[in-house]
Amino acid sequence: MRGVLRGLVSTTSRMTVVDLEAGLEHLSRGTARHVDTLLLIAEPYFKSLEAAQRSFALAKDLGISRIYMVANKIRSPRDEATVREFAGRHAVTVAGVIPYDPAVVEADERGTAVMDQRPEATCVAAIRRLADQLLTPVA
Amino acid sequence: MKIAVGGKGGSGKTTVAGTLARVLAERGQRVVALDDDSNPNLAVTLGVSQRTAASLPAIPRDWLEEKPDPDGGTRLELKVPAEDFIDRFGVSAGQNLTLLVMGQPSHGGSG
Repeated sequence: MRGVLRGLVSTTSRMTVVDLEAGLEHLSRGTARHVDTLLLIAEPYFKSLEAAQRSFALAKDLGISRIYMVANKIRSPRDEATVREFAGRHAVTVAGVIPYDPAVVEADERGTAVMDQRPEATCVAAIRRLADQLLTPVA
Repeated sequence: MKIAVGGKGGSGKTTVAGTLARVLAERGQRVVALDDDSNPNLAVTLGVSQRTAASLPAIPRDWLEEKPDPDGGTRLELKVPAEDFIDRFGVSAGQNLTLLVMGQPSHGGSG
């Protein structure tokens, strides 16, 4: 059944956003065939960055054309510097930097969307910037 | 654009995926959000209740057909256009935005 729904990604004229299985194993050829843009969410600590970097290498081998790292739960300029330094060293593009935001925890606890709970939240603003960047045609 | 969002468990990937889908829909894009996680909870980050997401109808067998796979096995394919399928089996998550859940039990019978 999953294969059927993945096939939809290729055949629909709509834009698609797929929330992948956690971990590395999701990056199969099957998934990669249907996807042109991969966002790897990484937190600013070594294990998370390492995992994202491994996924990056794998996704590149599978031929996904646009692969970006998105830094999440950033609490300080130092956190951001850690991510950017790591990404720079591994030639990975950082497409977005999303701050740590208690509004996410709050929405989680209430079982609501952060977009509905706090549309003005700083993390939502950061995801808006990410969306705008993705929608901007690559020169 | 066909976007996939990945990351370790706890990285916040589902919150990013759901919010991004909402923002893209707000920007006027027609968006399908697909939950490919075996522990599906994209619905909540889109603003759709878990109960609504879990109440999706099972996919009737005659919407699918078995096709031979290059590997020698068979695979299921849709017999209907993607748009019809999305309209019938998706959950509306507001204007321009539809949720499809892959891992949900009612789809499990057909593998």
